[in-house]
Amino acid sequence: MPTIKVLTDGIGEVDLRDCDVYRGRGGYEQWKRVVTKMQPSDVVDLVSKSNLRGRGGAGFPTGRKWGFLPNNGRPRYMVCNSDEAEPGTFKDRMLIEETPHQVIEGMLIGTYAIGAKRAFIYIRGEFKRGYEIFTKALAEARAAGFVGERLFGTEHGIEITVHRGAGAYICGEETALLNSLEGKRGEPRLKPPFPAIKGLYGEPTVVNNVETLAFLPYILKNGPEWFAQIGPPKSPGLKVVSVSGHVKKPGNFEVPLGTTLRELLELAGGPLEGRKIIAVQPGGGSSACLFEEHLDLSYDFDTMAANGTMLGSGAVVFFDDTTDFVKAAHALVRFFAHESCGQCTPCREGGHWLELTLERMLHGDGLDSDIDMLLAVSRQLTGINLCPLGDSIEPFLASVVKRFESQFRGYVKAEAVA
Amino acid sequence: MSVASRVGVERDFAATLAQVRPEAEKLMAEYPQKRSALLPILHAFQNVEGWVSPEAMAAAAAMVGVPVSVVESTASFYTLFFRRPVGQYVLQVCRNLSCRLRGADEIMAYFREKLEVGHLQTTADGRLSYEEVECLAACDRAPCMQVNLEFVYDLTRVKVDQVLDAISAGTFETKPLPQTVPPGRTWHVGHEAPKKSPGAQGVSNPNDPGGIGDATGENTILRLVADPRLIAARPTDERLVREGRRLIHDGEVSH
Repeated sequence: MPTIKVLTDGIGEVDLRDCDVYRGRGGYEQWKRVVTKMQPSDVVDLVSKSNLRGRGGAGFPTGRKWGFLPNNGRPRYMVCNSDEAEPGTFKDRMLIEETPHQVIEGMLIGTYAIGAKRAFIYIRGEFKRGYEIFTKALAEARAAGFVGERLFGTEHGIEITVHRGAGAYICGEETALLNSLEGKRGEPRLKPPFPAIKGLYGEPTVVNNVETLAFLPYILKNGPEWFAQIGPPKSPGLKVVSVSGHVKKPGNFEVPLGTTLRELLELAGGPLEGRKIIAVQPGGGSSACLFEEHLDLSYDFDTMAANGTMLGSGAVVFFDDTTDFVKAAHALVRFFAHESCGQCTPCREGGHWLELTLERMLHGDGLDSDIDMLLAVSRQLTGINLCPLGDSIEPFLASVVKRFESQFRGYVKAEAVA
Repeated sequence: MSVASRVGVERDFAATLAQVRPEAEKLMAEYPQKRSALLPILHAFQNVEGWVSPEAMAAAAAMVGVPVSVVESTASFYTLFFRRPVGQYVLQVCRNLSCRLRGADEIMAYFREKLEVGHLQTTADGRLSYEEVECLAACDRAPCMQVNLEFVYDLTRVKVDQVLDAISAGTFETKPLPQTVPPGRTWHVGHEAPKKSPGAQGVSNPNDPGGIGDATGENTILRLVADPRLIAARPTDERLVREGRRLIHDGEVSH
């Protein structure tokens, strides 16, 4: 299945950072149509009909998420989540840096659809360049009359504020992001209440991923049926997939959901010379590993879930037969241990414990009992935390310990502890 | 106002404040609640001073109307705020999965060897700070790093040499960070190794958990793990270095 370029169309060919170039390709026309001809509820209906599901990781239907906002007369906020930090994911950075205007147009349409007047974009602290590019693009959009007061001569007005983070993976979790945006430590909040009820400054808030919002202008332009009929009915549309690891040409590929993992591997140039792919992590660092027998599975939300893993943020990492899975597991466990905010004991202590254990194994002091302990500790710290970070440790670790147990045994140097 | 900071160097903080204040006012006006401007204000201070000094945190606290302790707690949450001075170039090398699959371990070993530093340490001349960081979202160009938050891709030993040579020659594309105070060997607060053990004098010290003159805490922990039934995980040499409890190379530990 080939790539279909919608969000990625023109990248590397023309300068889409330039507002005039974007407009020359039909940019901001949907925004104008929305403001001058459509009611917010019309936009919500169209997006619901398209079956667009969130592209940030959870895959929640976007139209339904918008529908949770209460009609309580309070101010509402739209927040675009660009705190992309899931290991293996590099699509939002590309969208922010290469085509900021379609993100702005998507944000404007989403903000209008939920009846809000204020939108924020939270850009990961490490994306300093992306922040500068986006800020400049926003100034151009404002100068052209697409952002601000009295849009297209109507009484509608929308303001967008660009907010830069400062280094914390957990701020990609929506309630942690809201705390960070409020000038606090980026610690996730207890849910419920969900952001739709009590979000930014305690007001109804929608948090949507960059890619999710960027699709809105095209869903409006081509109609919801266009999007809904691409790929599997319950998991339709296009997805920008970040492919990395042991492949010849890693990169972002925009494909219909329902493309197979093997096709993604081929798009990325196939395995390195003389190597064989034996495993694939299909949905970022938080997802369980799949193996060579799974390469012909359809890459969509539901098929991944049915096979015990997830599509997540759309980060696909391929592993070939030279991989040391103890080192691979250690890299991800260390990541989650490092990024734990520390509020919940199981995540804070369990992640650290697993990291130390793997580190000890890698340094030649593995115990026979370690294999069972890795599985037991990762299992026990799962499902009892405020947010999904702690729960993200087990899937990859357990899947590779079970599959490549001999590799882990290879690091065992001592008998079991009585 | 001239102040002696915690690290004992006098500098003119009033000039910093005069420079940051107008920007901070503008930032605070942009949000429905001014505390939302806290992270941007801390970024602004770091842009001017090269780090987020105690004076900067106190000033930011006064601006947004929260206690200094709240600002310190907030700043400490985020890895990009340096609460101790750093070098003019902060080298942040990705250690996460996709980079590791493409040789990041070798690149990190090369940096450590060549610069004679460990994770979160600054070179002896105070010019370069080195950190091993989590996924930078450039996995298609692995292994990757950032130099003062500017990406460098497709790292090899040759590329590393080129980057370091360009920095030395002053031709690297990214500007150096301002350096208002000479940096110590690490900027990781709480992990600066003490010069002498205060433990022998019975002073409570986080680096001396046993309170027995074991300044690095290393012996205490190693004694504990001599019997693996007592503790399943023990810190490796690499971890002791990383946490500042042991220096990778002999040399004076400042702070």
